[in-house]
Amino acid sequence: MARMGTSSAPAASSVGNVPKFRRLQNGARRWWPYYVMMAPGLLFFVVWHYFPIWEAKMAFEQVRIIPPNIWVGLKHFQTLFASPVFYSVLVNTLIISAMKIVFVFPVPILVALLLNEIRSGKLRGAIQSAIYLPHFLSWVVIAGVFIALLSPTDGAVNQIQQALGFEPISYMTNTGTIRWVLVVSEIWRSAGWDSLLYLAAIFAIDQQLYEAAEMDGANRWQKIWHVTIPGIVPTIATLFILNMGMFLSADLNQVINMQNDVNASTIDILDTYVYRMGLSTGEYALATAAGLFKAVIGMILVVASHLVSKRLTGKGVW
Amino acid sequence: MAHAARRTPFERLEYALIVSSLLLLVVFTLQPLLNLLALSFSDPAKVPGFSGLSIIPDGFSLDVWTLLLQHPNVQRGLFNSIWMTATSVAIGVVGTALMAWGLSRPELPGRRIIFLMVLVTIVFEPGIIPDYFLMKRLGLLNSPWSVILYKAISAWYLIILVRFFEEMPKELLEAAELDGANPFQTVFLVVLPLARPALATIALFYFVLHWNEFFRSMIYLNDQTKWPLQVVLRQFVIEGDKIAIVGATNANNNIGLAQINIRALKAGMIFITILPVLAIYPLILKYFTKGTMTGALKG
Repeated sequence: MARMGTSSAPAASSVGNVPKFRRLQNGARRWWPYYVMMAPGLLFFVVWHYFPIWEAKMAFEQVRIIPPNIWVGLKHFQTLFASPVFYSVLVNTLIISAMKIVFVFPVPILVALLLNEIRSGKLRGAIQSAIYLPHFLSWVVIAGVFIALLSPTDGAVNQIQQALGFEPISYMTNTGTIRWVLVVSEIWRSAGWDSLLYLAAIFAIDQQLYEAAEMDGANRWQKIWHVTIPGIVPTIATLFILNMGMFLSADLNQVINMQNDVNASTIDILDTYVYRMGLSTGEYALATAAGLFKAVIGMILVVASHLVSKRLTGKGVW
Repeated sequence: MAHAARRTPFERLEYALIVSSLLLLVVFTLQPLLNLLALSFSDPAKVPGFSGLSIIPDGFSLDVWTLLLQHPNVQRGLFNSIWMTATSVAIGVVGTALMAWGLSRPELPGRRIIFLMVLVTIVFEPGIIPDYFLMKRLGLLNSPWSVILYKAISAWYLIILVRFFEEMPKELLEAAELDGANPFQTVFLVVLPLARPALATIALFYFVLHWNEFFRSMIYLNDQTKWPLQVVLRQFVIEGDKIAIVGATNANNNIGLAQINIRALKAGMIFITILPVLAIYPLILKYFTKGTMTGALKG
């Protein structure tokens, strides 16, 4: 019934308005209950996600105690790009993201390949239940666990190290090791859970391909190399591109719980910089400008990665 | 399988290596947690020499747990975490489900625009400072509602539910319409009851998200009595604020909690915080794994 007015409108406007109005009326009569149901959700998105975009105009203003603020254009961005601290946090962010791509990203793929080789469903299930757990813990908890694990006096790592005759290292307060702590704790948290996506892709591979490979006399590794890996390449590509889209988010929640006075400069990232400038130092406008810089570059990266992924593998971010 | 019968010794070695490398991952994952759990149950006298490698309590004592669970900061933190998480989950599930139902109707006017509006929020986040100032403007700073409503409806979970509703059998809805049910009756009497497994999955997603939330609580809630457990834990274990848990009088006179080894107290605090997650972990395994698997397969 909503399709009534789709035919081209008659020439006389007074007549043409009638079907259009009727259509609107019919549409409203039919759809208002759905809009009532969606109202809380719509209101939430507008207030919680769109109002902050309006607040972000602060990045272009001089914030005054007594409103109104004064429009200053790109002044804060100029200050930001001229500041050496900004470059150092940008470089930190890029280094940490790159380290995670290189050392964290491949681990779940490997885990999924190994899990797929386990023949006993029970054993595989038990292993999965154990390795998925850290994904559901907060970074506060994970940081607490790693502080204990890496303690120079009674942490497991340093005890092993000392038993082997090495000097203990205070990993959390060492500028040379703290980035590796970020990498290893990220592996601890996500290697298990992230393998699930690859495992799902492996299970979707046509069993006939394996049977054909066996007929050809392929051994375990040849099957992995020629059947399993090609079968999950689209998933790997999609997740890799998605990771690239997150390049400027080196994970605030992780860093903020692993940061301390000693290691701060080595793992200070864009997000912690925004947090510190804005909420500790009170440089609201500058912090907002830095946040906006990250948001815009991040948006370009995510949208670009979505388009690339869609083009290459048919799978996008959404 | 027949294949297993004709395995060579080399193939058996291969298999043993695969299994042991996975078991190594299991040890790497669980040992640090089990060590802390054992530490929290150890005899306080033996805690100072407790090895970071051990996973068995040295002696046995409930002191750490009972003292922590009687602590006003911990009790308040638990109370805040529970009611804030429960409220967030309830609002999240109902809000997400109703919005997803509307969006899953293909002929809904404005559907594309609303979808676009939701997608924009995924790719563009203006950051924590604008969020903070919005809370200030709304008068929600230092109110738990600023945290409860944070991510009340997740764009990702909304999309998952929309996909789920889109695949619901049309016949049922038509039958409900023929019976004279209005859209509200259809949703509450037919759609939502049918969607129970999907809603349970979403509820678990939200539970984990909100239980683990600490950052917004940390920046929005000045008043320590409003803090959820994660922030109490953070103050004690990450920021190393010993006095917050031990108490100044105790620390000065070396009485009460000050006599308990700080390592054991921290371990106990960590475990109290993850206990609810551990409690629902079997459910998580059941629903999350299935949800993620089907989601991935559909692509």
